[in-house]
Amino acid sequence: MNDKKKELKDEIQKSLENKFLRKSMNNFALAYRQGHAKAYSGLDKDKLVSDVVEVKDNALNDMAALSDKFAKKAGSKGMKVHFAKNAQEANQIIADIAKETGTQKIVKSKSMTSEETLLNHYLDDRKFEVTETDLGEWIIQMRHEGPSHMVLPAIHLSRYQVSDLFEDVTHKKQDPENIDSLVKVARRELRKKFAEADMGITGANFLLADSGTVGLVTNEGNARLASTLPKTHVVLAGIDKVLPSISDALKILKVLPRNATGQTLTSYVSWITGQTECFSHEENKKDIHIVLLDNGRSEMAKDPEFSKVFRCVRCGACANVCPVYRMVGGHTMGHIYIGAIGLILTYFFHGRDEAEKLIGNCIGCGACRNICAGGIDLPNLIKAIAHRIEKEKGESPVSGKLLSAVMKNRKLFHTLLKFGKYAQKPVADSNGYLRHLPMIFAKEHNFRTLPAIADKSFRDMWNEVKPRLENPKMTIALFAGCVQDFIYPEQLKAFVEILESENIAVEFPAGQTCCGLPLKMMDRVETVKDITDQNLEAFDPNRYDYIVTLCASCASQLVEYPMIKKGERSENFADKIITSGKFLSDIVKPKLSKDLSGKKVTFHSPCHLHNCMKADNEAKEMIRKTGAVFEAAEDEMGCCGFGGSYSIKYPEISSQILKNKVEDFLKTGACEVITECPGCIIQLRGGVDKENADIIVKHLAELVREAK
Amino acid sequence: MNNYEKFKEKAEAVQGIVTKINSLDQAFLYVEDVFKKNDFKNKTLAAPFFDEKALSDASESLKNNKISVVTKDLRNQKEGVDVGLTFADFGIAETGTLVIDSSKEDLRLATMLSQIHVAVLPESQMKEKTEDIENELNAVLSKDAAYLAFITGASRTADIERVLALGVHGPFELHILVYEGV
Repeated sequence: MNDKKKELKDEIQKSLENKFLRKSMNNFALAYRQGHAKAYSGLDKDKLVSDVVEVKDNALNDMAALSDKFAKKAGSKGMKVHFAKNAQEANQIIADIAKETGTQKIVKSKSMTSEETLLNHYLDDRKFEVTETDLGEWIIQMRHEGPSHMVLPAIHLSRYQVSDLFEDVTHKKQDPENIDSLVKVARRELRKKFAEADMGITGANFLLADSGTVGLVTNEGNARLASTLPKTHVVLAGIDKVLPSISDALKILKVLPRNATGQTLTSYVSWITGQTECFSHEENKKDIHIVLLDNGRSEMAKDPEFSKVFRCVRCGACANVCPVYRMVGGHTMGHIYIGAIGLILTYFFHGRDEAEKLIGNCIGCGACRNICAGGIDLPNLIKAIAHRIEKEKGESPVSGKLLSAVMKNRKLFHTLLKFGKYAQKPVADSNGYLRHLPMIFAKEHNFRTLPAIADKSFRDMWNEVKPRLENPKMTIALFAGCVQDFIYPEQLKAFVEILESENIAVEFPAGQTCCGLPLKMMDRVETVKDITDQNLEAFDPNRYDYIVTLCASCASQLVEYPMIKKGERSENFADKIITSGKFLSDIVKPKLSKDLSGKKVTFHSPCHLHNCMKADNEAKEMIRKTGAVFEAAEDEMGCCGFGGSYSIKYPEISSQILKNKVEDFLKTGACEVITECPGCIIQLRGGVDKENADIIVKHLAELVREAK
Repeated sequence: MNNYEKFKEKAEAVQGIVTKINSLDQAFLYVEDVFKKNDFKNKTLAAPFFDEKALSDASESLKNNKISVVTKDLRNQKEGVDVGLTFADFGIAETGTLVIDSSKEDLRLATMLSQIHVAVLPESQMKEKTEDIENELNAVLSKDAAYLAFITGASRTADIERVLALGVHGPFELHILVYEGV
């Protein structure tokens, strides 16, 4: 293990040990999901997001011209505009302004861009007194920490920690249970700072080119004070913040607060242009400076792949929904910029070394892509960064090389899987679980008992189970996926039996292989291409009404084939892909005769099912149609922690996620958990077994088969 | 639901307090009532750029209630401001938002420094969506200097354990008096 990875592992362990952090992150994840849904109720989020994409993409294509236009307009109104190539230059410009204006005391409102340039350190070193005035930022500044969330920077701290800190500040006893009174401490203390300050520093959410206006989106009101009371106002913003006009900004404003905090609009949105009235300045008008920061942005804008990153409006939602962030928090899941976008921005703003440390954190669940206000395909960009880092370093992990060699040859891969069954014999018990892990796994992986490879794979039993129908009403092809083919063939068998009784013909193209997702997660880009070719050759989409898979993760990869291999065949192939639950519920509508009303079941929605396939409601609908009593788990959409190879790379996180899931199921009082992804089933069954929980994990197809 | 009802619902969802008035005298009666309900030490009302006639009409009653009025130099109010009384230029029903041209420093400070902000919104200035006043917004921003504020509810934070707390930097309460027939 190299040093960077070791460092990350240590940090993960530390974060997991922080019980408060875990509890508050869990509460946050659940509350955010509800707030977000409520904020968008009655609105077409896809349309709002596509408006943001249009605005941002247009601004990106015009970035240099727009920032020039902004600079000219703002300059004509007496605002002084400075261009900074990099962080150092920006910090120096600001320190120079402070020197020229005789500034000693500075108040700041929250600005991620100033975190990016480490402005506070720079000003501290030059003996300026800098006070962060956003409550969360003030708290972490006094604790000498970085933010752990873009919107809620002190979310990792408890009221007790804040209360202790405020006792130090005020030399008075504080009541940690009275948050209102803690907040008043900040109001009182910081009012003094505002009154004394010579300079206020803010960021900007928008810069409007047509009027030379700075737009600020805030809740606390500190940016208003920072931009009003001191005689000098400095705005630090990335050049990507420039938009043509307020109508563009209003479109972003529809999504930003809803995505960030579930608010329809923040308490304050301020639009500042020119030198406004300011009675602390000898000329009675504000001395206002705008520092436009490049710091790699124009380079990134030229990159066809990564320029999409500029669609980011800094709402922080990608962290809010990330299962890994939820477990470890922002100090581990980010360098300065947090969450999925943080993994990408770190590479561009803070270099390969920092990025390398973080990049393996992505579990590939797709939640961030689904929530993103700018519709950014974050998981694939994270993978692309990982691939870049690997290429730049010119190394390829040995295990990865071996894997690539095996996966290029389907027959070799499947033969090895079958041999695996003999290799594991001494350790598998009669329940089909591996009790002692083979040597290739480290001891940390003992958090779940791994399943054993089935005696007979699905492909080997296909001839026996294949339906032989004379006049079928339709024909589908089954994409089995490795896990069900070799570990859980009984799930596929149950599914085929349902279809046979509904007079639906099933074909199982023998040339099919792994969907490619595990290889993508291990950054084997070339091998993913090989595998895609193999599957596209095995399936002629024109021969089938649908291509059905019982694995939501496989489905999420199969629908991406047109991005990997362009052409009509892959488009047709992707169009025909459907998940088993949606297929059963919407298309087959099977006749069910057994009474399951005595059985209480709950549901685990696989990440790829709701984030990527958007087919979780159909799966639940199918469960209800079986007549079993359905009790929803509170955290039904919470990740199981499997994430393919992720659970092997970071077992600490994975095991904690799993433990929480099992507890959540038990609370429903259900006797069965139904789900639709065999990867989740491996994870959940292992967790249930390890925790000795009295609950059975089943694939949806098995439940429907039972109801037949 | 008409714009007023929508506005009221949205503003109340963010702890705004919305009432109708039909004269500016009523606005002052309302303000006096706010002082009665709160235990302020110095009883200072900031009313910069408010309607001068209404203010002078109310002056005696304010005096009787021991409320002192300031209309300028708010930044030097060492004892702070308890209530800020201002007009709002527009109301946006869709989000329960007030739009206030706050280019004048004293007016801006009245909306920032006060513990309670009372804003009078002429009924005719109530619009459904922000987009409906894009021209008016642009007219303000095209001036040589302007400070335009969208205010939605009171100052808020959730930075300590995500618990909502009001008045962290700005007003603890926002009251909106919709001025009927104007």
